Amino acid sequence: MDFSALNEALAFKSYDKVAGICDTLMFLAASEGVSYQQDWPYAIHLIGHIYVNDINSARFLWKKIPLAVKESQPEVSAAWKIGQRLWIKDYASVHEAIREFIWSPQCQGIMAAFSEMYTKRMFELLQSAYSTISIQDTALFLGMSEEDATNYVLQHGWTVDPASRMLTVKKQAVVTKQKLDHSKLQRLTEYVFHLEH
Amino acid sequence: MNLNMNSVESLVAQIQGLSGNIGELTQLRNYLMQCDDLLRTESTRLAPLLTELDPSVHSLGYLYILEACTCGTILKEEANELVLSVARFINVCAADQIRLAPEKFISICKRLKEQVVLLEDPMRGVAPLLTSIRKLQSSTEQLTTLHPDFLLLCLMSKCYKTGLSVLEDDVFEVDQPRDLFLYCYYGGMICIGQKKFRKALELLHNVVTAPMPIISAIAVEAYKKYILVSLIHLGQFATSFPKYTSSAAQRNLKNFSQSRIIHDLLHLAKISYAPACPDRLLHICMDLALSTFSKQWDSGIFPYLELVNSYSTGKVSEVENYVQMNKDKFESDNNLGLVKQVVSSMYKRNIQRLTQTYLTLSLQDIANTVQLNSAKEAEMHVLQMIQEGDIYATINQKDGMVRFLEDPEQYKTCEMIEHLDFSIQRIMMLSKKVTTMNEVMSCDPSYLGKVHIQLGGNGRDLIMTISTPFLLNSTYEGGEKEQSMALPMTCEFLFSRKFSFYYGRGWY
Repeated sequence: MDFSALNEALAFKSYDKVAGICDTLMFLAASEGVSYQQDWPYAIHLIGHIYVNDINSARFLWKKIPLAVKESQPEVSAAWKIGQRLWIKDYASVHEAIREFIWSPQCQGIMAAFSEMYTKRMFELLQSAYSTISIQDTALFLGMSEEDATNYVLQHGWTVDPASRMLTVKKQAVVTKQKLDHSKLQRLTEYVFHLEH
Repeated sequence: MNLNMNSVESLVAQIQGLSGNIGELTQLRNYLMQCDDLLRTESTRLAPLLTELDPSVHSLGYLYILEACTCGTILKEEANELVLSVARFINVCAADQIRLAPEKFISICKRLKEQVVLLEDPMRGVAPLLTSIRKLQSSTEQLTTLHPDFLLLCLMSKCYKTGLSVLEDDVFEVDQPRDLFLYCYYGGMICIGQKKFRKALELLHNVVTAPMPIISAIAVEAYKKYILVSLIHLGQFATSFPKYTSSAAQRNLKNFSQSRIIHDLLHLAKISYAPACPDRLLHICMDLALSTFSKQWDSGIFPYLELVNSYSTGKVSEVENYVQMNKDKFESDNNLGLVKQVVSSMYKRNIQRLTQTYLTLSLQDIANTVQLNSAKEAEMHVLQMIQEGDIYATINQKDGMVRFLEDPEQYKTCEMIEHLDFSIQRIMMLSKKVTTMNEVMSCDPSYLGKVHIQLGGNGRDLIMTISTPFLLNSTYEGGEKEQSMALPMTCEFLFSRKFSFYYGRGWY
């Protein structure tokens, strides 16, 4: 099986493409009737899906993996553990699952990138959902120690109340540039004119 | 007539010679149609011919020979070879050539699907069937007979995302109505698997309300899933059917508590009166009535409608009890997973209902109202809902309170303008299509004849009742030719009258 496209994507750190490439290769192998299950990089395939937050596809892939592979390759089970925790939305334990396994060199790059991205995603969630939150919970969600978590959020403008061990969230004002397309406005005006006459 | 060496050579030569332009191909097709019986009788000896042809250039000839080779019974050892050869052909064949013989192409694709299912490796057929659909379709708006087969393979091999790519196309043309049923049903299941409940609801709705002379088993199964998805996505279920639903569906998918009572009454009457009443006809009538009602009763929809009732109470424990009691029924329909999703969606619904009454609420109160175990659990639920966009709120851990907010969408952004523009364009296109279809159907003489008979009277009454804006050139009884009409027809009339007529006329 020709995994050059996959290796290239990993080398260039375009991790969001990994899942798509793996899917295409899998279909190719399947339609040729080649027995690919033993050598297939399931761990990377799973992590690729998890990276783009497509837990549905990760779930279905896990169901397709033969039992022999699941038992003989612990990395595959470890990758699925992360997917499982994301599926049941057990936010805090995802970090644990990432850390407790020693990943192979092939997976290390993508796991590190995913870990960083996940922390950022969690931070944004906390920012949008909470007005005040305890330092303990923040540390759990961000997968850091309490001190590191406090420093991280302080850098982003939150304030800490050491007495009650609470953090006050500062919401980022979201400013999206509005590029005005005159033709669209023109069209909408025409519709309204037509409807009113 | 045996296929001797000369015939074989001439066949190959014909194929190679006539695979140039469309004129030659039409000639070739006619020639091949004549040779069809011959090919079938000599199917076992045709395999070597395939090596002399190039499937990408001589697609039409290759197709005929390949189809003849694969039409007989296939032994298990040969299945792998067959799948490989058909898959390779599909990948390289020329689309314009195979469209000249669509039935043959469909036949080999269906063979492929059968064999991959027998080999218990449905994933082998997914990519080839997707390619075959794209090559067979004259446009993405056409639904072919291969669509449901493709979706079935996606379901069996759990390649849901690939199936979804086909479901995103809007369908305006259907080869066979039967395909539409299966396409929408399997499509609904794929959308459910990918948690795209809005689209699943749409597809299942199409199955349930499609025109059908008698109720089909697919419609019954689709109705069960429709009820469950409606509960998950909308939090409620309306038992009334839209006007355009077929009468067969409306009759058979109703709430059966009435049928049950009637059934029991009839049974009682039969037992009480039968010994005293020698009237054979009466017996026959009662038996018929009993079997009709028991058939309706047994179609298994009752547990689902009862689930709707207990869901509307809003009490999670009640629903859980009902599910537990009827677990076997749901499981035998393969709907237990979906039913469990219905139960877990109740927490979400109940929390959403709270936003309509309260501005702020403590986490403990939420837990109590919604029947969760602790404030922490309530917090996790609310957090998940915020992440998924089901609710707008902020949690204040210091006070243990949740404050519910308004939808921050102000409809002032560029994305909104794009969205509006796109939606309006789509509606305009759809409206044009409906107008064209209306035009075509108004001129259909069989339609006009039927409507005329239904209304009675002469052409003038016909005109006044179904005024259309188009030029009607057909002659009515009495030899009157009438000219264009003034008033437009409404869409509902169009669908309810014309389509149900059309389907009743012979599409089945």
